[in-house]
Amino acid sequence: MTAPLHHVIIGSGSAGYGAAMTLRGEDADCMITMVTIDALPFYNRYDLPGVFRGHHDWRKLLAVPPARYDELGIKLRRSSRVVDVDGERQTISLAHQEDVAYDRLLVCAGGRSYLAENLIDSVGLMHGFGSFEAAMRVYRALPKGGTAIIIGGDMIGIDLALTLLDTGYRVVLIANQQTFWPHVVEPVERKRLLKALENKGMTIFADERPVGVLDTRNKKFSRAVALESGTEITGDVVMSFCGLSSSVEFMLGAGVDIERGILVNPELRTTNETIWAAGDICQIWHDKEKIYKFYHGWKNVRVMGELAARNMSGSHEIFDVEVEDRLDIDDDGNLRSTFWTR
Amino acid sequence: MNRPLKPVYLEEKLEEIRSDGHQDYRSKSLPTWCPGCGYFSVAEGFTFALNRLGIDYKDVVVVSGIGCASRFPFFVSTYGFHTLHGRTLPVATGIKLANDALTVVAVGGDGDAFAIGGGHIPHAARRNINLTYIVFDNGIYGLTKGQTSPTSALGFRTSTTPYENGDEPLHPLMMLLSYRASWVGQAYAGRPHHLADMIATAMNHRGFSYLHVLSPCVTFDKTDRTYANLGMQVRDLPDDHDSGNLMGAMAEASHDDAPALGVFYKEDRPTLDEVMDATNKRSTAG
Amino acid sequence: MTKDMNNTDIQIAICGSAGDGTIASGDIMKRAAALMGYNVIAFDLYPPEIRGFGKCISRIRISSEQTYSLKRESDIFISLNDNHAIPHVGEVRDYGAVVFEDSLIARVPEGRHISAHIKPAQVPYAFSIRQISEQATNSARSRNIVVLGFIAGLYDMPARVFHRVIAAKFATKPQIVIDDNTKAFDAGMRAGGAVFKLDDVAVGKPRDYSNGSDAVMMTGNEAIVRGFLEAGIGSYFGYPITPATSIMERLAVEIPRRGGQFLQTEDEIAAIAATIGAAYAGSRAATATSGPGLALMSEMLGLGVMAEVPLVVVVSQRGGPSTGLPTKTEQSDLNLAVYGGSGDARRIVLAPTNVEGCYRCAGMAFEIAETYQTPVILLIDLYLSNRYETVIPSEENTFAPKPRLRPEIAKGDIYKRFELTYNHISPRALPGEEGLMHTITGLEHNEQGRPNDAIHSVMSIKRHEKLNSATRFPGLTVCKRFGDEGPVDVGILGWGSTFGEILETMFEAQAEGIRCSAMKVVMLSPLPMDEIVAFFDDCREILVPELNYEGQFANLISGAVGRPVTRLSHVTGSPMVIAEILAEVRRLAGSATPKQKALGS
Repeated sequence: MTAPLHHVIIGSGSAGYGAAMTLRGEDADCMITMVTIDALPFYNRYDLPGVFRGHHDWRKLLAVPPARYDELGIKLRRSSRVVDVDGERQTISLAHQEDVAYDRLLVCAGGRSYLAENLIDSVGLMHGFGSFEAAMRVYRALPKGGTAIIIGGDMIGIDLALTLLDTGYRVVLIANQQTFWPHVVEPVERKRLLKALENKGMTIFADERPVGVLDTRNKKFSRAVALESGTEITGDVVMSFCGLSSSVEFMLGAGVDIERGILVNPELRTTNETIWAAGDICQIWHDKEKIYKFYHGWKNVRVMGELAARNMSGSHEIFDVEVEDRLDIDDDGNLRSTFWTR
Repeated sequence: MNRPLKPVYLEEKLEEIRSDGHQDYRSKSLPTWCPGCGYFSVAEGFTFALNRLGIDYKDVVVVSGIGCASRFPFFVSTYGFHTLHGRTLPVATGIKLANDALTVVAVGGDGDAFAIGGGHIPHAARRNINLTYIVFDNGIYGLTKGQTSPTSALGFRTSTTPYENGDEPLHPLMMLLSYRASWVGQAYAGRPHHLADMIATAMNHRGFSYLHVLSPCVTFDKTDRTYANLGMQVRDLPDDHDSGNLMGAMAEASHDDAPALGVFYKEDRPTLDEVMDATNKRSTAG
Repeated sequence: MTKDMNNTDIQIAICGSAGDGTIASGDIMKRAAALMGYNVIAFDLYPPEIRGFGKCISRIRISSEQTYSLKRESDIFISLNDNHAIPHVGEVRDYGAVVFEDSLIARVPEGRHISAHIKPAQVPYAFSIRQISEQATNSARSRNIVVLGFIAGLYDMPARVFHRVIAAKFATKPQIVIDDNTKAFDAGMRAGGAVFKLDDVAVGKPRDYSNGSDAVMMTGNEAIVRGFLEAGIGSYFGYPITPATSIMERLAVEIPRRGGQFLQTEDEIAAIAATIGAAYAGSRAATATSGPGLALMSEMLGLGVMAEVPLVVVVSQRGGPSTGLPTKTEQSDLNLAVYGGSGDARRIVLAPTNVEGCYRCAGMAFEIAETYQTPVILLIDLYLSNRYETVIPSEENTFAPKPRLRPEIAKGDIYKRFELTYNHISPRALPGEEGLMHTITGLEHNEQGRPNDAIHSVMSIKRHEKLNSATRFPGLTVCKRFGDEGPVDVGILGWGSTFGEILETMFEAQAEGIRCSAMKVVMLSPLPMDEIVAFFDDCREILVPELNYEGQFANLISGAVGRPVTRLSHVTGSPMVIAEILAEVRRLAGSATPKQKALGS
């Protein structure tokens, strides 16, 4: 009798969660460990704007009750940062000085919010929105009816912005190339969409470039964004929503090919036989276009996680989802996105 | 084997005893010791000593353990505490510490002292608790009718050593000297006047005074520690014996065949209650 | 009694090795909580070794209302050493907090970091405890203080209270020690304040004390010392033994200041012998020991009974038999305390159930001993000896000695130390008193104290019957019933340290709708029979939970009342578990007909 395989999943987002559940379905005996920097078990990040609708209890955000992980024999290792992956020894190293051995590894650590270089010095004055904790901090930092300044405005940011408007806050959008990311939007269409947002009540700066964030705590507003033009926009919270960049630093020593993300074949396997990748972190080989492509959006990500899990369990399925890129905001401000709409 | 006889005292003898003032120290209970027992001499010597030292007998507590010798408190009219086998010294220590105005005399036999109670002696001695410990050593367990004791001689036959005692007897005087008792003396029941002197001297000592009294058991020892044998063996300490010299005292105490009588060793050092007073002062200083 | 959910009731557990300062950390936490005005119950678990890397756990329950034991689960758990903490992380309730180190100095084998063991419903707080300590004080030795700061920051507790406790705790150390620990605390507090709180632990306001400064936090052993001192203890003789030693150590400091007698004797026999000697001479004298020491003392205890000497013996039980489990708790010396020794030797045994009870029983013990001229045993256990509770001591000293019953005899009469009287108590003379000379003895004796066998039956009656009124001793709680009045389905009968868990269980059972009462019996000898029988009459089922295998208290009570009880024994060396009692209460409440159990089954 062979020992059960140990599947280690780095990341506990949609891809990782979908993979873990699928792995358990494929093999009742394997060992499954999810390693994540997060403190909470899996919840859908795309539900986070809900904190402005009173959803402050993270327990209600969870996809499954915590006890389910124990029932399914999925070991959840939270607050654990992976600093290194050794593809030869088949171990991952955790920041707290522990190595975890795996038979098969799935990397789906996702991406982090991209920040324009000229704003890096202002990072301490800006808010993130990548986790429940971050979302709650934004909620607490915003006074009733207060103003949120959104730089960029990828689909996560647009979703949040619409929720804020709905719940009585003011939103200032400083649009840029990443607005509506990951949708690719033609200039004419972009103008129309921005207009729709403006009609919804958003203040929009469409052709301005932010150069820094200022602490104006002593004044009526606590923050201001300085624009290249010299204008200062005041608000209570400043957030950057400029798309995601893959978090691949810890994979540099793993012996797998990396470009901007981890490169995988259509089966989502890396150049190392025992390592797969899925979600926002990977670029998948597109046989027709002969390039490695990112596929963002929670639906794609979930599909990737589940597919990788089946392939880790012995299948050879191909990721050949051709995603229709379609975005619309109607006159009532309702959002329809092939990537985002729930 | 002879059974111990009930003491028989003639009425006129009693009258004579009672008419003498110092017998006030005697209680109305008559000693239960066998006629001829060496312990009578100790009782007599004790009453003599109290008289001589002029101690009010309400201020005296006699503490004892269990055994023939330990019956002693019942036969004197001071305060008395007849405790448990071997526990004389710690009880006496508690009494003396709680009320240092009392004169505390601990008494007991050789078994009470050196068998079951042996663990307490070094500590009473080293602490220099200000009391007198008189051990009546007859080398046998009399109250339980004749078993071997820690001071029984080699080859001695008793009911528990029917094939002769093979255990080396221990050496009380050398033990007490090495325990740092601040007064160590030896007397013999067959020399009652000297014994009385020694009791008085021991009680007069400031600190822990240990008086070892050699005494025959007329009932259960017909062969070894008899008046006849002891009378021939005992000797006085040499005139030039230096009672301030611990090693000299050790040397004198080591003569097994010729036990010496007198004060082997004495030393002046703080007593336990003095040490405790000093501790109490330190605890409130600063 | 229902519990207001808005009130504070949290339990913090700190787990580490002996070298981590775990207990010191817990000590600061509990003192700070008490200073803030919370009710505190705390109990530390030590390793048997003095030095080295044995496991320490400090558990502190902080409440805004009266509580009676530690909680079943902790709300906050801090690991200073994952190896020791891993087996205990399961005690944290769902959505409670687990705080741990994320910057270990050496690699750990796979699975030996606590992050591998935290349950999915528990909230992990990983932070760089060591690095923060090193940055604050140039040393990793302040990790235990950093985590306290983290907790204070996370739950918004006032820093100044912790600063005060730290300053007091290290008052005898150089100023730099206080400064370093304060810096470490503040650095931890900044880290805790910066973390987003994800757990649902609520630290509310403390109880509203009208005179909050009067509440003092102390252990059972400290409470006994305080009671003894207020009662004017004169002499203490003792021999070190876990878990009673801290009584001796405290008295070693306090008795000399009061001009009394303190002596460390050569063994337990000498300790109680000297105690008897001092008590005989008129001093308020006590000793303290544990089970093995009590076994050695039993013969002397019999002498105290026979010679009618008043003395007080504290017995703090630990796991047995023999050397047993010196650093673990157990209630298995009841038989020895109540019955131990030769012959019919009835004595008074008091078993307080909490720290305040320790204080009150110790305060009254000498008076009771003097009144009945007999040994009084205060029977506690390691759990009560070492656990901390907030206590509000008496404002005035009610324990000072009352005038002693003195013999009065006509001139020329013979003093009878053991005179037969209507209440079997004979006026006692002390050595040194004029005209009252007598000898006391462990032999059976007549009224004058002279050895006498013929009078044995009369004197046996005297020694036993004189104690009868002890159950009605003024001001002493000998037993008490809690919970529902009148007929109930289940009555929980308990004694000693276990009673806190019993009460907490009773509240939970009542909340579930079970008709339930609890009775504590403090005086184990003689037993307050009227109240106990009345309790039996009211209870369909009687449950007796205790920390021994045989059911020693159950046997005592069942034998005395002549009715069966259900036993619940727990012998893990740890305190009683509420869940175990509750399960048994539920089972008994569900049974329609009373169980017919044979006595002793």
